[in-house]
Amino acid sequence: MSSSPSLYVDRDTFLHRLNARSKLALLVGVFVTVYVFGDPLWVFVPLAATFATLLLVGGWANFKRLSFIVAALFLVGFAVWPAFAESGGPVLLETPLGTLTERELLFALGRSERIAAFIVGGLLFVTTTSNEEIVAGMRSLGFPYAFCFAVGTALRLFPTFLGSANTVRQAQAARGHEVGGGNPVETLRSYIPLLIPVFMTAIRNVQTQAMALEARGFDTRGDRTFYDRQPFGPTDWAVAAFGLALVVGSIYLRLQGYGTV
Amino acid sequence: MDNDPASGDAATLEEVVFAYERGSDLPPADSFADDADYDPDERGGPVLRGIDLGVPAGSFTVMMGASGGGKSTLLRTFNSIIPSFLTGSFDGNVDVLGRDATDARVPEMAEVVGMVLQDYEAQLFGTSVTSEVAFGPENLAVPPADIDPRIDHALEVVGLGDLDRRRPPEALSGGQKQRLVFAGVVANHPELLVLDEPTSDLDPAGSHDTLEVIRSLADSDEASAPEDWRGPETIVMVTHDIEEALLADHAVLLRAGQVYRQGPAREVFTDVEALRNARVAVPPVVDVFDRIGWSREELPLTPAEAVTAVEDSDLAWTPPAHRGETLPGTPAGTGENPGDPLFELDGIVYEYETDRESVRAVDDVDLTVREGEVVAIVGHNGSGKTTLAKQLNGLLEPDAGSARWRGQDVSELSMGEVGRSVGYVFQNPDHQIFADTIREEVSFGPENFGMEGDALERAVSEAVETVELDGLEEADPFNLSKGQRQRVALASILATDPDVIVFDEPTTGLDATQRDQFMDLVARLNREEGLTVVMVTHSMRTVARYAPRTVVMADGRKVADRPTRELFADESALEQWELQQPQPVDLSNRLAGVSGQEDALPALSVAEVVQGLGGSDASSVNAEAGGEEAGVRNDPDYGGGGRTDGGSDTGQTSGGENE
Repeated sequence: MSSSPSLYVDRDTFLHRLNARSKLALLVGVFVTVYVFGDPLWVFVPLAATFATLLLVGGWANFKRLSFIVAALFLVGFAVWPAFAESGGPVLLETPLGTLTERELLFALGRSERIAAFIVGGLLFVTTTSNEEIVAGMRSLGFPYAFCFAVGTALRLFPTFLGSANTVRQAQAARGHEVGGGNPVETLRSYIPLLIPVFMTAIRNVQTQAMALEARGFDTRGDRTFYDRQPFGPTDWAVAAFGLALVVGSIYLRLQGYGTV
Repeated sequence: MDNDPASGDAATLEEVVFAYERGSDLPPADSFADDADYDPDERGGPVLRGIDLGVPAGSFTVMMGASGGGKSTLLRTFNSIIPSFLTGSFDGNVDVLGRDATDARVPEMAEVVGMVLQDYEAQLFGTSVTSEVAFGPENLAVPPADIDPRIDHALEVVGLGDLDRRRPPEALSGGQKQRLVFAGVVANHPELLVLDEPTSDLDPAGSHDTLEVIRSLADSDEASAPEDWRGPETIVMVTHDIEEALLADHAVLLRAGQVYRQGPAREVFTDVEALRNARVAVPPVVDVFDRIGWSREELPLTPAEAVTAVEDSDLAWTPPAHRGETLPGTPAGTGENPGDPLFELDGIVYEYETDRESVRAVDDVDLTVREGEVVAIVGHNGSGKTTLAKQLNGLLEPDAGSARWRGQDVSELSMGEVGRSVGYVFQNPDHQIFADTIREEVSFGPENFGMEGDALERAVSEAVETVELDGLEEADPFNLSKGQRQRVALASILATDPDVIVFDEPTTGLDATQRDQFMDLVARLNREEGLTVVMVTHSMRTVARYAPRTVVMADGRKVADRPTRELFADESALEQWELQQPQPVDLSNRLAGVSGQEDALPALSVAEVVQGLGGSDASSVNAEAGGEEAGVRNDPDYGGGGRTDGGSDTGQTSGGENE
């Protein structure tokens, strides 16, 4: 298995020092904010703040790894959402297929920004929170340990899975394989030589990992201890309160009619 | 670690039979015959076929045998992975440290049995050094206050005491990762440690460091150890590497899923016939003196012992050549008479980004490879070997410099144009195999390059025949052994009729027989078909035997590009680059040293050492090139030297090269 960096970036920043639970509270605050507002300007503020913070804590490399997905979702959303919006305002574009009004444009832009904000927010969380902290944080929120550990392991294995997929892609390219084809069926078929080795390798690795886990004493039934319990200090309380304020404030403003298209 | 038979057995297995298929109707343990013609590759049914075994308490026991012969399966019974985790069909008794391992769960056995597997990446679960080592004790519900000293001690034992404990495991080298895995296991304070090929994925330096850890664990009773633990009482290790196996004091040979030989390591590793029957490599030094005709009791095990033995005998060392003389070819007769340049790499630079910085994986490397050459690229993990090799067929494009193939810039050629001429066999065959049959898998490449009809069928048949898998064309490649899957991968490249094949670690995970078969096949293709070979490898014995030219990479730079024999004569350079000498090289360098032959070039194979000691004529060496068995009689007229204290007069014949 090739070595692949995890998404966690080891830095000593304000966010890194926070308890995972306070970071979760902050994340919930941001998510609720971008969810309740539809106006792209109102969604842009938390999106920009989250993105700037991601850059400040050293998450640029992580963003680059997922930038294709973010861009694809943003553009596809931007193209599709107008079809689901109520038209209104001046017509900005007229084509034989239909028109694009100002309201439809703003609606689509807001929705696409929302998706981008969800991804960037999640990325910020995993960039600043190690697997152990995520697991410990979720566990202290009452989730079963087995579930928490599964989430942490999935996050750790994701980059490994990408690394393995890249090796398979190279191995098949060296045999002259090209992805794509004349029609959708051929395109789908062209993925088979990539998907089967990736999944077979993943299945083999998962079995080895499961064996290694149990051999290290991992057991979902018995008691366990936690070596690195993070304290929940005054700063964490303050950040959690800020997250809660974001939730309450954004819902209040939305109910007052702000931030809508 | 003392092997005290009086202390009893740490583990006892009685009449153990196991098959991976669930619900199999298992025959009784005593119904299995010791089948000399048994081939693990072809086997179906039970993998363990009536195992009776005692592992002496306090011993360092090594288990060896053919790939697919049941070694790893057997190891998994020690901590209940079989039959608790991998249930299959099981019968028999397994007692480990007084516990019934057939009736315990794996996490329960983890309190007393620690396990380290080959794939270190799959055994790392933490995001920092500290969390990784703490993981096991946390699982065993050790109070947090007691975990601290365990972390300190475990990291100290594995030589990582000075490591920044916040570092993520993925930022460590391969050797450091495997040592971290050891630390995580050691922190559980196991009484029995089972190791499944712990060094086979590591570079020479990583292997060396890991072996040092194993050595220190075997001897550990140091003062810094916690009061309640002095190290594992007993260690059991599976390995294919005979030189590693010599660390052990007790040895077990498996054949056909049964214990074929067991006993003190020296006794087992000087039993040449038993080793060959079990498809285990004979220790090269043992092989040398066995071929010369020394009796089993006289055979030295290590180069140091051999030098003393030679000094005490009437043997004298004649090196294969001296500096300044014409170099003899490789033992395998490969890479003779190179032709025109095929690849010309000029000032290649390749960089990749990490979350912190840009890393220059290949830094200003020039390299020319000529038609018919066999070139080895060696160096540590991360030295840039594979990245350099991937420039050859355009899998990676350089950030600076140029790669030319037959004078044409590789970047101007399509993957189809260059891929057909330059085959690339990846380290892990599972990264490419996807088809339902071997025929379909082997056809994939040539079809992509536009081959069809009779030409395609002929190419596939020839490739499958070349790798000796004919008759298995309709077999499912996923059901084959690792060695066979490796050959399927090679066949799928051969079928495209390439001029060059680039191998990335071609022998990883293969046993001695599979390794020699695979590399002899590659050598034959080079000698007979003129196939140019570039191989990225950690196996210095493969380099010595098959590659007349070696390129050494370090920190992305090419630090040496020399004839292999000259490289192996430069012991200080080898030490600087942490490249280990294979035993025949080590022995011949030592013999040259004690006989004052400073300008001697080393032998590269057992046959060359035998010849240098006057034990054979050139025909024995030449026989190697054809992959045939080389026989040496103990005949004074034939040059066999006897010991001054009484040599053997038993006639000997021996098999092919075993390193």
